[in-house]
Amino acid sequence: MGMFSMMQVSASALAAERQRAEVTAVNLANAETTHTDQGGPYVRKEVVFSATHGSLFHAAFNSAGSMAQAPAGSVRLTDVVDDPTPAVRRYEPGNPDADATGYVSYPAINPVTEMVDLMGSVRSYQLNASAISAEKQMIEQSISILKPS
Amino acid sequence: MSNVSLGAIPNSYLPEPSSIDAGGDGDGLNFGSVLKNAIHNVDQMNSSAGAQVNSLLQGGGGDMTSVMIAVEKADVSFQLMMQVRNKIVSAYQDIEKMQF
Amino acid sequence: MASPPGIDVLQGYLKVLTDRQQVIVSNMANVDTPGYHTKDIDFQTAMRQVISSGGDVQLQPASMELQGLPERPDGNNVNIDRESLMLSQAQLQFQLGVQLVKGQFSQIITAIKEA
Repeated sequence: MGMFSMMQVSASALAAERQRAEVTAVNLANAETTHTDQGGPYVRKEVVFSATHGSLFHAAFNSAGSMAQAPAGSVRLTDVVDDPTPAVRRYEPGNPDADATGYVSYPAINPVTEMVDLMGSVRSYQLNASAISAEKQMIEQSISILKPS
Repeated sequence: MSNVSLGAIPNSYLPEPSSIDAGGDGDGLNFGSVLKNAIHNVDQMNSSAGAQVNSLLQGGGGDMTSVMIAVEKADVSFQLMMQVRNKIVSAYQDIEKMQF
Repeated sequence: MASPPGIDVLQGYLKVLTDRQQVIVSNMANVDTPGYHTKDIDFQTAMRQVISSGGDVQLQPASMELQGLPERPDGNNVNIDRESLMLSQAQLQFQLGVQLVKGQFSQIITAIKEA
């Protein structure tokens, strides 16, 4: 793989975790949204991660300078899916979004769950950021072999 | 001449003292061969290092650490060669100064 | 000649470490990927190969799945603490290797200059 591809792998993780945090933030912001453009309450979104397959060590054969291909071991967000949990219904007859029986449908979003998710994203982000620091340090140390010690 | 084996590089950059034949026969210490060996070695190391650096710069696979080590080896080989050359030249000049 | 680990062995050491780093980095990147299992390489065996061959062999690293790690409900068994520890360890070992290599070269250069 090589040292530069390693940084690509870690960078892919940073991007994926950031996207996950964004989705969580949108969920949080819309925890009380009863009325969207599509009609009905906001539906909670979830992210799906998947890893790029392939041998971690034989990328040399298919790279030949093509940095466009994600190195094996990279992660990416493959999908943002709707949470199938049914909406929460609360009795609020005065609410303009209330249905015939006086119930309003709220998104099935628990702010605590979203916060825990967000903290998970942050922790994973920090982990991969520290990986990038380590990779950078390795490259710098390799280069220092050429300097008079 | 194969007595001074500079080809023992990379693990030993210095010629084994016991292998230098300073004897009186024609197979003795031959300055020209010593220098030729050194130059040949430098040449090899240089092209090997050069090839690896090229491969690295093109973004292909070179293990970066190996490339750095190869470059440094080539550099050290070159310094060794320069020292050998200097010693040879200095020895030659010493001999020239001798009056008979 | 009997000497501290020669430059070739050190080169092999650094390569094995780099390979290990790759695996650790992939583990870290996939800490939230469902179904992903922690990978590692057999460092001891690889180093034994390096030392016995004097650093000449072009190593073929093989990554294997680590056994014994608990799986979370989504099938992922990557442990953040373990990976962080392995990363720090690899960093220090790499630093050690580089310092030793520099020392070797420095010795040689001194020998050349003093001759």
